Amino acid sequence: MIEVLGRRPALTLSVCVALFLLISVLPVNDYVLHILTLSLIFAMFASGWNLTLGILGLKTLGHHAFFAIGAYLSAIVAFYGGVSPWLTIWAGAALAALAGLLIGLPILRIRSMPHVAIVTLAFAEIVRLIFSNLKDITRGELGFWGIPPFDPVSFGETTIRFGLGNAWGSYVLAGAFFFAVQAGLLLLLRSRPGMTFAAIRDSEAAAESLGINLSTWKLAAFALSAGIVGLSGAIYAHYVMILTPTSVAGPEMLITLLAIIIVGGAGRFFGPLYGALLLTGSLELLREFGEYRMLLYGALVIGFVFAAPHGIAGLRIGRLRRRDRRGTRERSSAA
Amino acid sequence: MADGLLLVSNLSVRFGGLLALDGVALEVRDGRSTAILGPNGAGKTTLFNAVAGAVRPSEGRILFAGDDITSIPPHRRCRKGISRTFQITQPFSGLNVIENVAVAIVSRGVPMAAALREAADYVAFVGLEAKSAAPARTLSTGQRKRLELARALATRPRLLLLDEVTGGVDQPSVPELLDLIRRLRVERGITVLVIEHKMDVLHGLADDAIFLDRGRVVTSGSMADIAAHDEVRRIYLGDADAAA
Repeated sequence: MIEVLGRRPALTLSVCVALFLLISVLPVNDYVLHILTLSLIFAMFASGWNLTLGILGLKTLGHHAFFAIGAYLSAIVAFYGGVSPWLTIWAGAALAALAGLLIGLPILRIRSMPHVAIVTLAFAEIVRLIFSNLKDITRGELGFWGIPPFDPVSFGETTIRFGLGNAWGSYVLAGAFFFAVQAGLLLLLRSRPGMTFAAIRDSEAAAESLGINLSTWKLAAFALSAGIVGLSGAIYAHYVMILTPTSVAGPEMLITLLAIIIVGGAGRFFGPLYGALLLTGSLELLREFGEYRMLLYGALVIGFVFAAPHGIAGLRIGRLRRRDRRGTRERSSAA
Repeated sequence: MADGLLLVSNLSVRFGGLLALDGVALEVRDGRSTAILGPNGAGKTTLFNAVAGAVRPSEGRILFAGDDITSIPPHRRCRKGISRTFQITQPFSGLNVIENVAVAIVSRGVPMAAALREAADYVAFVGLEAKSAAPARTLSTGQRKRLELARALATRPRLLLLDEVTGGVDQPSVPELLDLIRRLRVERGITVLVIEHKMDVLHGLADDAIFLDRGRVVTSGSMADIAAHDEVRRIYLGDADAAA
């Protein structure tokens, strides 16, 4: 599993947590904390998607639909029902997981990867259109505003507040959720599911011949992946406190997240975090270029794909592969 | 027929307009080694895939240990005791050698730590212990064939399907590989169904054989009977005398 997890993943994750905690006690300005908060939310989104796209090898392109489902359901229940976002985010994640199961069923029957990509892309567009047309509830593209932030948490004299405008609390909250999800995923990937997912990605026929039920494992991965993405969407909704169907389920979200996974390293455990930090930061820095922003962003992604095809997290893997190839060539010539 | 572990009757497989197998019958007896022979396009791999569950038959029945397995998926056939290797090896290239084998063991429900320990035994059995930590994609063809053998053994099969196990393997490694397969039968009592092109290889490996041509069974019996069969000599060995 070294290609997925890298060397000493628990240590790397601990270092990331230590850096996250260090930043939380340093006098970092609110704008930087806002960028980091978005990065952590998108990193969670990308981690969930990476489970199916990179680690399981299913070329699905509709995960922004699960992000939207998690975001809208949590926001709607919290806004209209007066339920605490601490509870509604789980409902958002659960509905996204259920949607993942439902879309996963027909996808299992499709062997052709381009068709899987098209079906999932179409599903995301359907979800976007549904939220756009439920104007009485979501206000469509006018925007669903007034979404409540997470309820404040008090520790003795100290009260931590969340939502846009409360940068420190939001940063800590996003980090806590992201690292909890990462720790859970690490445990999962180091056990039977991780090995099974990698086996299915490399050869479905061989995996099936060894007793692996492809349908069950793919469905489970799809539901888990959608659930994580839905959870990230719900956290996003209560952070930014306004949603439009296009902002969460539109093509820009798809391209941004896909780029995060590719640049970070598709199929690499730490890829989403590295990709999210780099690209969310870049996207903000490129704002001064106005309408050329996405053009430059695209150029950055293309350049990265050529320079580091295995992504940031795969830089070391690339070196190991080259060393392996050299070793194989030398053995062949010696023989 | 009492000790027939695998019983295939009237098996036909159709791919669109092509009849790849036409009413094939086959019996593989428990503890014996049976070869499937035939020229290119004879239907050997199709028959093999039908037994493994990778191809759905159009007609006919497949019984394994008395159970009808004709319509059950490959993973359930594996749990019943059928395991296979592939003509073109299919290693899990992102995993190392031990992990490749452990996949088969954890799928039986064995915990990860115990699976890795058990996998080391199978890796040692096929002589790949020096490569235990190597990524599967770095192995040579012969080593990959051994890895697939270890992986298939790790499912604890009663019937092992070997698809051209010496194909692409360098000549000096072939005797060692064949010895390994013989040991499977002697030491572990595994029944073997093998596809192999090389007649000389099969003489030391198979007890019985079935000869296919254009999807039909030409003849079946002992290896000696098959080698002496006129039609086989004409089709497969290109024997001019037999043809005449």
